[in-house]
Amino acid sequence: MLVSLEAKLINRKYLDSVKELVKPHTPQYCYQCAKCTSACTASKVIPEYKPHLIVALTRMGLIKQLLDSGIIWACTECWKCGEYCPQNVAPVEVIIALKNLAVASGYRPPEDLIAMARNVIELGRISPPIEVLSKEFEIYSRESLNLPPLVRPYAHESMRKTLKDLLGGL
Amino acid sequence: MGEVRIGVYICHCGKNIGGVINPSRVAEFASKLPNVVVARDYMYMCSSPGQMLIEEDIKRHNLNRVIVAACSPRMHEPTFQGVLKKAGLNPWLLEMVNIREHVTWVHEDVPDKAEEKAKELVYAAVMRAQHLYEITIHRLPVVKSALVIGGGIAGIRAALDLANAGIKVYLVEKKQSIGGKMAQLDKTFPTLDCSKCILTPLMVDVARHPNITIYAYSEVVDVSGSAGDFKVKVRLKPTYVDWSKCTGCGYCTERCPARAPREFDEGLGTRKAIYFDFPQAVPRRPVIDPKYCLWFTKGICRACEKLCPVGAIDFNQKDRYIELNVGAIIVATGYELYDMTKLREYGYGKYKNVITGLQLERLSDADGPTKGKIVRLSDGKEPETVAIVLCAGSRDEKHVRYCCRFGCAAAIKHIYYVKHSVPEAKVFVLYTDIRAFGKGYEEFYQRLRGMDDVYFIRGRPAEIFEAKDGSLIFDVFDSNTGQLLSIKADLVVLESAVVPPKDWESLRRMLKISCDPGGFALELHPKLRPFETTADGIFLAGAIQGPKDIPDTVAHAAAAAAAAIGFLSKGEVESTPYLAVVNEDLCSGCGLCASVCPFDAIEIKEEGGRRIAKVNVIRCKGCGACAATCPSGAMQQNYFTDTQIVSEVSALAGGAK
Amino acid sequence: MVKVLLYLGCTIPTKQYAYEISARNVLPRLGVELVEFPEAGCCGFPLKGINKNAWIYMSARILSLASMRNLPILALCNGCDTSLRKIKTLLNEDESLRKYMAKLLANEGIELHTDVEVYHVVDLLHDVVGVNKIKELVKKPLTGIKIASYPGCHLLRPSDIPRPEDSVDPRKFDNLLSALGASVGYYPDKGGCCGATMLPYSAKYALRVVAGKIKNIKEFNFDAVSTSCPYCMEMLDAKQDAARSEVGDESISIPVFYLTQLIGLAIGLSPKELGLSLNLSPVEGVLEKLGVSLSG
Repeated sequence: MLVSLEAKLINRKYLDSVKELVKPHTPQYCYQCAKCTSACTASKVIPEYKPHLIVALTRMGLIKQLLDSGIIWACTECWKCGEYCPQNVAPVEVIIALKNLAVASGYRPPEDLIAMARNVIELGRISPPIEVLSKEFEIYSRESLNLPPLVRPYAHESMRKTLKDLLGGL
Repeated sequence: MGEVRIGVYICHCGKNIGGVINPSRVAEFASKLPNVVVARDYMYMCSSPGQMLIEEDIKRHNLNRVIVAACSPRMHEPTFQGVLKKAGLNPWLLEMVNIREHVTWVHEDVPDKAEEKAKELVYAAVMRAQHLYEITIHRLPVVKSALVIGGGIAGIRAALDLANAGIKVYLVEKKQSIGGKMAQLDKTFPTLDCSKCILTPLMVDVARHPNITIYAYSEVVDVSGSAGDFKVKVRLKPTYVDWSKCTGCGYCTERCPARAPREFDEGLGTRKAIYFDFPQAVPRRPVIDPKYCLWFTKGICRACEKLCPVGAIDFNQKDRYIELNVGAIIVATGYELYDMTKLREYGYGKYKNVITGLQLERLSDADGPTKGKIVRLSDGKEPETVAIVLCAGSRDEKHVRYCCRFGCAAAIKHIYYVKHSVPEAKVFVLYTDIRAFGKGYEEFYQRLRGMDDVYFIRGRPAEIFEAKDGSLIFDVFDSNTGQLLSIKADLVVLESAVVPPKDWESLRRMLKISCDPGGFALELHPKLRPFETTADGIFLAGAIQGPKDIPDTVAHAAAAAAAAIGFLSKGEVESTPYLAVVNEDLCSGCGLCASVCPFDAIEIKEEGGRRIAKVNVIRCKGCGACAATCPSGAMQQNYFTDTQIVSEVSALAGGAK
Repeated sequence: MVKVLLYLGCTIPTKQYAYEISARNVLPRLGVELVEFPEAGCCGFPLKGINKNAWIYMSARILSLASMRNLPILALCNGCDTSLRKIKTLLNEDESLRKYMAKLLANEGIELHTDVEVYHVVDLLHDVVGVNKIKELVKKPLTGIKIASYPGCHLLRPSDIPRPEDSVDPRKFDNLLSALGASVGYYPDKGGCCGATMLPYSAKYALRVVAGKIKNIKEFNFDAVSTSCPYCMEMLDAKQDAARSEVGDESISIPVFYLTQLIGLAIGLSPKELGLSLNLSPVEGVLEKLGVSLSG
């Protein structure tokens, strides 16, 4: 498909915001050696996931298709790309920044992640304690395992408020 | 000099100046300024009649200061200095005022204000000229000999060029033989000539040249003096062989029972404890390595001593030192490969079958550990697949920031080695960019990329792992095909990044020359003076100025030699007129000046029970850093003394009277 | 004796109970005094994709709460460990960020402090308790069992902040296993990722990641895997059956243990004290070799 690179369609806003969010990493120096993608955990199972391409698209401002596809949420955050990048781009940090920007401009993260975030707000943890099954199908809980009960985090009410502000209208 | 008598000359420069302001009015203004004896304007001051006018005025009016208000001093300062000289005045009694570039060219649209500015500048020059004084240029004779440090291809070429120009050359090499890295290469790109076949004749020429003395197995330990007259101390390391007796028959090296890793093979092969670097070594004189010699380690053997037909073995040798006196120094210490164990994700040093490009050279060389056969180091088997990784450690913020400048062409050559040794092997070339910029390189690249079973993959592996059979497995994203490829290779060749030699830093400090961020010697100008340094009389040849391939190294070395020949042929060195000068009565010896001097021209010396700054008139380049730093005003710079500058500035601040 | 705050994070106290049980039973026997830290919530790691500042805020909170207690933090979870050390570094390096976080925390009566030591189980045991001390306590050495250590990403990376293990050549985990008498060894991509963080995006792909890891380990003839991260455990152990079905490879089957469980076995604790009946991978064979049974 032919992509028009008319000046008005190029969205520099994203690269500038990403650069700010990932400091001191330097996405502007990427020279597309794709060492990140060679290292990437997600790329090995998801062919369309390519960190070097995400960095290139971000640099070019061709961001809409990328965010529409939701592919940035596939990152496992294994940090290998950041570890081995020769230009200190740290694609993982770029991707975290893109996720933040996507959420801020109305894109919806995966539902499980939203559920986790809601639980952190309401309970202080990503989930309430659950009952688990052993291999023999016996049901165990914290109580039955004699583990101390969980309590709410310190100053939970104010934490709740602050988190809600930071995480927006999830 | 008694009474100050100033002549002021305002140039019209045709309409350049005269078309905007009225030079006669400026001259008229100048004539009333302090100590101005004569002031004139003229159409072209730089013309012969213009120059003659000044010369006659100097004589007629007994002038001892001349001010020319015309163009930039970059244009005509030397012209008018010549006039002063001809009239018998010291040329540094001239002061130029730039009323063209600084006034009429930039203020064409406001001629009244322009004329006012011209007057102010002339006034300031007159006030400054009151304090000008005669400046003496120091001249020292040049010793017509040169030291070349490093006997690789750069040092060899520079030494031969100097020697052929009739200059006595001392060539100091730290290893047993000259030849450097080039001697370790099997072939050279892009023509694939055998490296030693083109190198060894030059090595022999060096050895035979009547104007060249080689000090092999030696190192420079001290450098003093300055351009034209350096004193250099050289340590001759003990070889435990009396080279004056030795004939180089090599019998000792054949019979020695002790083995050591062979440096020349990059640790792959072995050599004896008494050894030549390689069979064509120059000088062909062996050395004993006390780390492995059985006499030094266990107190036994001495076979070499017993067998030597001329009795040259001398276990009691100690360090010897010699002093050389040379006019110029050429630094040709070359490069080293970046330590690939630091690029940990590739497993060099951990996995046997990961090697450097230079190690592949040794495998490919008939004199190498495998007699020219390329094999897996783990089991000696022929590789079915070879992966060549470019930019290993180069262009990397965590390792070496710059490009190695020959890895690409070397990799292309290495494809040839593999295909030549194992024709059915598959070769994967993992590159980011192929920089085939040299003459004939693109054609070379074309030839090799067209070969069967050679795959160019645009991508870089991130992690290399070892499989159970000792082969190497890694994933690499290929942006040519858009695929993430999983590769299994029998041999991985790393085209390593390039760094300055480990021991270079101490030599650099001795030579007092600067370095770039990568640690290489800093050239005087990156484009226009790439083989000179900030220290006069010290020149750079080859990769010590920055990574270079052989053609560029040779060109650079020949240029350095030419520059050194030019310098030595002048017969004498001149000091800059803008020398730093110490008022010893004011100097407290605090040493701040010495600490800021970029040329290492200032020394603090004990004299009459106190410390005083002393300026080396040849090293000083007249930058003025010391004068600006001196807290007591003891350090002044010729032609830019505090008094001269302050008079000029206060005149400007006060406005034209 | 070293005294630490037992920081459990989210996954361990809500799901990965075996880690909590084994840590609570094993660590005090090694001379680690565990102090409860129930008021500490999530480290914020899962929130960073939504808002990085929410992550920073949550970790800054925990660092500050620990500082109020004047004790070092022991993180059992790799993700928590990375969060706390990363945020500590960020806050120490970025003055404006620090001011912003201090302001947020001041609203809830917490004073921002980052001067608190953070340990993970692996570096606490290796560097503070010491391999020799553990060796001395071993009663039932794990002789003849070849165990693949699985440190997990966030024990190693990012290496520009202090990490419990070396990012390229992790050795501490293996040293600890060797101290228990087990054999250890090399396998490719020991520092690889289990894929857990990909779960919210796609369970299918995440399972393929972990399947690949287990296959890798099996090829190098290991009898078992050991990890010290609840996410890696979740993937390697709980999701092992699902991973096997996803890729349709019957060979994907290996016992998986927490490091703390293996230490417990070696120092003579019972399977019950180590929560071993909660491991879903086929651990029975290894236990049999050691002469213990799940029911016993």
